[in-house]
Amino acid sequence: MASSQKRISKELAEVTTNPPEGIHVSLVDESNVHNWNIVMDGPEGSPYAGGKFKLLLVLPNDYPFKPPKINFKTRIWHPNVTFDEHGSMCIGILKPEAWKPSSKILSVLTATQQLLVEPVPDDAVETSAAEKFKNNRAQFNKEAQEYTKKYAK
Amino acid sequence: MPSPRHPLGDHSLPYTVHTELDSDDEVSLDTDTITDGDNITASPSSRGLHKSRPPTFNLNLRHTVDLRAITYNGTVDENLVCPICRCPFVDPVLTDCDHVFCRPCIDDALSESQLCPIDRLPLSSDAVSRAPKMIFNQLDALKAKCPCCGVVLARSMLESHLEKYCLEAVVRCPGAECVKLVKRKISGEDCLHYPMVCPDCKETHDEIDMEAHRENSCNERLKACEHCSAEILRCKEEQHEGECPDVVQPCKWAEYGCQDEAKRKDLPLHADECSYKAMGQMAETLKKEIRSLRSEVRTMNETHHLQERRIKFLEGGQRASDRPLDMMDLSLANLPESTGADALESGHEYLLSLLEAQQGRLSQLSAEVSDFQAKSTMMLFNETLPIKNELAELRSTQQVTCMHVRWLMRFRMQENQRRFGGGPGATSNGGSDGGSSSDLSMGRRLSDSLTRDIITKL
Ligand SMILES: [Zn+2]
Ligand SMILES: [Zn+2]
Ligand SMILES: [Zn+2]
Ligand SMILES: [Zn+2]
Ligand SMILES: [Zn+2]
Ligand SMILES: [Zn+2]
Ligand SMILES: [Zn+2]
Repeated sequence: MASSQKRISKELAEVTTNPPEGIHVSLVDESNVHNWNIVMDGPEGSPYAGGKFKLLLVLPNDYPFKPPKINFKTRIWHPNVTFDEHGSMCIGILKPEAWKPSSKILSVLTATQQLLVEPVPDDAVETSAAEKFKNNRAQFNKEAQEYTKKYAK
Repeated sequence: MPSPRHPLGDHSLPYTVHTELDSDDEVSLDTDTITDGDNITASPSSRGLHKSRPPTFNLNLRHTVDLRAITYNGTVDENLVCPICRCPFVDPVLTDCDHVFCRPCIDDALSESQLCPIDRLPLSSDAVSRAPKMIFNQLDALKAKCPCCGVVLARSMLESHLEKYCLEAVVRCPGAECVKLVKRKISGEDCLHYPMVCPDCKETHDEIDMEAHRENSCNERLKACEHCSAEILRCKEEQHEGECPDVVQPCKWAEYGCQDEAKRKDLPLHADECSYKAMGQMAETLKKEIRSLRSEVRTMNETHHLQERRIKFLEGGQRASDRPLDMMDLSLANLPESTGADALESGHEYLLSLLEAQQGRLSQLSAEVSDFQAKSTMMLFNETLPIKNELAELRSTQQVTCMHVRWLMRFRMQENQRRFGGGPGATSNGGSDGGSSSDLSMGRRLSDSLTRDIITKL
């Protein structure tokens, strides 16, 4: 769908010329605007600070009518991200029943950043992390920091 | 070359193409159609090298502008940008939930899910209507860049610009037989889609591409200048000749007698010490002087002619105004004759004077009209005055008569009553056709009708 490519190109230009702080965007393959490489700095004030997290953003052919998919390529210990090689993330605005075609990729990226600062344990996919986050915040922070040092250097 | 008209032959197909070889080996093309008397014949190509093909009748290439692909000058107001395609709206529509989208965008969105793409409220395609005119106006005013020539103009003008004016836009080749496309700026010329041999490399290219070939892609396009040995384009050789620093040229005072020659780059040096320099410069100044004097004389001559014409016209106008003013002589045709043909030439002044003359006549006429009006009013007044007096006199006489009649009637009635001892309503008035009544108020009315009778008789 040509009009979807045009919109994606516009959003890409917007994000690359005026990138949000701590987010760097590039294309996996210059000839395909549907796959984006994201490098996200761990936000200050979170246990992920100091880490660099790689993400893969895939825009479906019927974008913006269908939501983009976003996965952590760098392992991250977080209540809302699976702690495995998929790094599947659970975030509200990307759920099919909540997605609005008027939402921009930029807001998806900033929402992801926000999720690192404020996990949502009630909507968790990584239950052990959620448990610790709720009951033993200090232990959670310590472990998350350790994993960040281990994987996200 | 005139086309040999074909006798009606094989017309089993709507378009039949006959190809035949002439004695001079040119291919002539004759195309007939038999679509109900609608007979279109393509004229044969003068170059005769185009292959036979079914004629095309869609002569104009449609430029449907993709408004989403064009670039805009400056930033576009975010309120005019579609939240789905992120471009300024194309054919905008308004939803019942007060959101604006491009029509194609919302159609796509609704075919995915029947929800508003912004607030996710249920939305059906019936709840979508044309956006307010104001939005269309704002969009029409957006400054868009022409995708072909880059000129910036209002978005609403873009389509007609591309269809009619853009010099870089692609149109059909003007050649009657040619199906190729050319840029509009060269479409005024003949078809240039015929093969030519490049004079440099002997390759064959279409004439239309030849210039670009010789300038950019020809293998033999460059040569060393025989004077300065710089590399130059073969097709620009003559142009270079005119500016090559090593070409030998005569001194610039040659016409005043200097025999010296030098390379172009050395000429300024020679010019400084040339023995004809003083004379040449003098001659140049004199020439300039003469030229300016001549042009001065020319302008003075012109003003002189103009003034002469004006004088002639004014004289003509004088003659015209000397003539007695005829009340019926208002037609324009009468004036030019009297002023003479020469005066006709001094355009504006002539018309102006004509206007003035007509205005003079008009004011005279209106003065006369008001004069006449005053006179007739006086006359009327004078005539009606005696009538009015007479009328007043008559009225007073009539009143007197009325009184008399009333008095007489009452007198008669009283006499009658006295005489017959009073049966009311038993009398009738002799000599009158009015109604009868003995009672007093009736009597009064009777007397009124009697007076009217008297007046009419008077
Ligand atoms: Zn809405
Ligand atoms: Zn749109
Ligand atoms: Zn143009
Ligand atoms: Zn042509
Ligand atoms: Zn060539
Ligand atoms: Zn040269
Ligand atoms: Zn000289």
